[in-house]
Amino acid sequence: MGIVGYAVKKAVEGFFTIIAALTIIFFLVNLAPGNPIYFIAGDPVFLSPAVVEYYTKLWGLDKPLYYRYFVYISNLLRGELGRSYRFGGPVAQLIAERLPLTLSLTITSNIIAFVVGTLLGLLAARKQGRSTDTTLTVFTFIFNSVPGFLLGIVLMLVFGVHLKLFPVAGLMDLKNPKTGIMLYLDIAYHAFLPILTLTLILIPAYFKTVRDSAVQQLVEDYVTTFRAVGLDDSKIFRKHILRNVILPPITLLAVRLGFSLAGAALIENVFGWPGMGRLLLDSIRERDYPVLMGIYATVVTAIVAISKVLDVVYGVLDPRVKTGR
Amino acid sequence: MSETIPKLVLAALVLSLFATFNVSVTYASTGSIQCPYKGGSLVIIHIGDPKSFNPDAKADDPLYAVASNLFNKLVTLDFNYNVIPDLAESWEASPDGRAFTFYLRKGVKWHDGTPFTCKDVKYTFEAIRKYKGVAYSLLKLDMLEGITCKDDYTVEFKFAEPNAPFLGFLAWYGTFVLPEHLYNKTEYTDWMDPNIPELYKPVGTGPFKFVEYVKGSHIILEANKDYYAGAPCIEKLVFKIIPDAVAAMQSFLAGEGDVLTVTPPLSEIPRINATPGVLVLARPMPSRYFIAFNMVQEKGRLTLNKDFRFAIAYAINRTEIVEKAFSGYGFVAKGMYVPAIAWAYNPNAREPEFNPAKAEEILDKLGYRRGADGMRYLPDGRKLELKLVIFQGATTEAMAQVIKENLRKVGIELNIEILELGAFQEKAYKDKDFDISITDGFWGPDPHNMHLRFSSRGTHNLPGYSNPVTDDLLERAAKEADPNVRKELYWKAQEEFAKELPYFPLVDVVGFYIFRTEWKGFYWELPSKVGIYVYAHVWWTKGVPVTTPTATPGTTVATQPTAAPEVVPLLSVAAGVAVVIVAVLAFALIRRKR
Repeated sequence: MGIVGYAVKKAVEGFFTIIAALTIIFFLVNLAPGNPIYFIAGDPVFLSPAVVEYYTKLWGLDKPLYYRYFVYISNLLRGELGRSYRFGGPVAQLIAERLPLTLSLTITSNIIAFVVGTLLGLLAARKQGRSTDTTLTVFTFIFNSVPGFLLGIVLMLVFGVHLKLFPVAGLMDLKNPKTGIMLYLDIAYHAFLPILTLTLILIPAYFKTVRDSAVQQLVEDYVTTFRAVGLDDSKIFRKHILRNVILPPITLLAVRLGFSLAGAALIENVFGWPGMGRLLLDSIRERDYPVLMGIYATVVTAIVAISKVLDVVYGVLDPRVKTGR
Repeated sequence: MSETIPKLVLAALVLSLFATFNVSVTYASTGSIQCPYKGGSLVIIHIGDPKSFNPDAKADDPLYAVASNLFNKLVTLDFNYNVIPDLAESWEASPDGRAFTFYLRKGVKWHDGTPFTCKDVKYTFEAIRKYKGVAYSLLKLDMLEGITCKDDYTVEFKFAEPNAPFLGFLAWYGTFVLPEHLYNKTEYTDWMDPNIPELYKPVGTGPFKFVEYVKGSHIILEANKDYYAGAPCIEKLVFKIIPDAVAAMQSFLAGEGDVLTVTPPLSEIPRINATPGVLVLARPMPSRYFIAFNMVQEKGRLTLNKDFRFAIAYAINRTEIVEKAFSGYGFVAKGMYVPAIAWAYNPNAREPEFNPAKAEEILDKLGYRRGADGMRYLPDGRKLELKLVIFQGATTEAMAQVIKENLRKVGIELNIEILELGAFQEKAYKDKDFDISITDGFWGPDPHNMHLRFSSRGTHNLPGYSNPVTDDLLERAAKEADPNVRKELYWKAQEEFAKELPYFPLVDVVGFYIFRTEWKGFYWELPSKVGIYVYAHVWWTKGVPVTTPTATPGTTVATQPTAAPEVVPLLSVAAGVAVVIVAVLAFALIRRKR
């Protein structure tokens, strides 16, 4: 099978994976207890049969579930995500507004975590068994176990409230509004603590992957040979081991980037950052089905697309993957 | 000992509230704005994003405070929940309670300069009727016969039957007057058509004009120099959106805001109040937590027995609930309606007080004997068990625990079922699948709220209660034009409720007003002068003193460039660049390996 045929096969697979995933999510979301109209009415004192009837008709909730499912799928195939129950506006626009702010947190922190985690992993492998290795392992273990929002609150209290080095919450300084380039710097300043929190909890995965595979490489014959011929240890690491261990963390990064579209709801909440995560949480709470399905569609598509592209790239790099042998 | 401290603090806070009334500056009558100082931006730490900028379409608490500063109602509520004039200078109701005539303020302008007239009022309420706005059922617009503009400044509402609660609900929620000339266009399908620009950039008649909204971050308004009551003293009003209670409080304490409207964790109140330059005011609200007994007729349902309901009420220690679930910041709810709506509150219709011995006595009399395990059993041998259904939340869950312990002491086993809000609505309100349930809610602004909550024809009848006596009293009160007769009917209904006890009042919620004292002239300092949530009269002690009443020379303020549209592309470009760099690095590494 040629590489084009392989790519087409993967694309078709990806398409059906997306449809299958969204089908399951659609039914899960719609079968959950709770009626979105209650949330439009807010306090149930506002609820009257006339209001319920109006919104049931407006949103097509009087139609059977299977019918709504086919409407949803056919709209989806035309790239139409529908209108939000709460906001009334198009779902695609709501997502497009939030996405850049979320990605500026998640992509930045993933990349920093990738670089720092990989370097620390190599360092730990080199100092295997010594105090540097032990210290790093313990710290990454801790950051791996601490819930992100808790770490966020701790960092906020230390750096924001007590040391007053960084702003506590929000997107920008509203007491003394900035303009021009200073506005962007101000936003970056506000993004610092959320990015730090995310980075700290993302580092352990990269660290662990790199350290363990590097330690494995150390007992390989080629390393012994290089050492025997008197090659400098740092050169062995830089030129040879790094290249052999870099693929798994890159795969990890790619998959993480797919998930990063969903935002980091709890951390965004702690720092008052207007990202996708908060939109997702609010939509779940208030049963905004169209927005919920729109976010899931975006995230599922991104994850599946990235993993299928990786499959194809690996197929190019390593023909064994393609033939399955 | 430690339990008494919060109560003392609370007492001090309540006192400080009344103290501020005395120090407030004397203002001219009928709410015209007086500014000892001018300038400044007031930053409110705000609970969340509005759903849209149509304030009448859906229940939208995050919009309400913003809309109150952008728009006006015909009449509004002041801090004491009294109806005060807004766009209507005066009004009269016909003796039969079916017609209401409002005399509108002259010379009011929309923010785009168009004069405000009766046709805006007519459009607004016809749209609420047509598109089932949030106030539709409370205003009884299904009974509306018509809205007539007698001239540009006189409007008459006529109903098919008397509608006594109309004025109260008109002053409350979802009744802001919308600009007819901008909304009423043939190309729009309805008033939430995404093509209506005013859904994103609202145009109102209120004291502040819309400047910008960055979703999830903030809303900025600026002073409307042409406001009917005079130009507001402050230059800008900023709503900074932080939904998380802890983050909102920390942001406020770090000086990032001047007013905190997101209720902080109650245990933090003393610390906030102790912060220099910050004041916390507190008062009881017409919002109440209460127990609803399941009153739907069904064979073997224990809560249908009046004596049994009283036994449960006697067994519950509400002081303990206030201390454990509210950290002391709550009031044991007295009476069958809320004291905060003073005219309608009957102080003589009292609920049972905590008296476990009396509860035991009733339960014994009912034949529910204690078994070997100390719990009570029904005559047929089944254990005396009840199902309590509540919605999620630290407060409700703590309340449920206290009640469970209280009931265990008198031998009743309570099984608590905690549901997420959407599921609670379904199970408790719709399916009535509980023995007892706890809920909260706003009981004002009109006692007609009792009809909604406890009449068999009410839309919001959690107990599923049906009693011809109270149904009739509440129905008659809703149709009675004479306020004294209305009061009499509501007082009688409360007496009947106290006798039958289909619900049991638990705790009246405390409202907190948390702000920096360098700002003065808040609505809580100016009852009867200004509507709730309106910041038009606020002034800053660090602003520019106004010495002479002469007009200040044209203050040209450089307007902020709107941030949102620029931020977004830059950030996405940055993200894109980062991805490309990583891809290039990875590719280079792989190439070199080969």
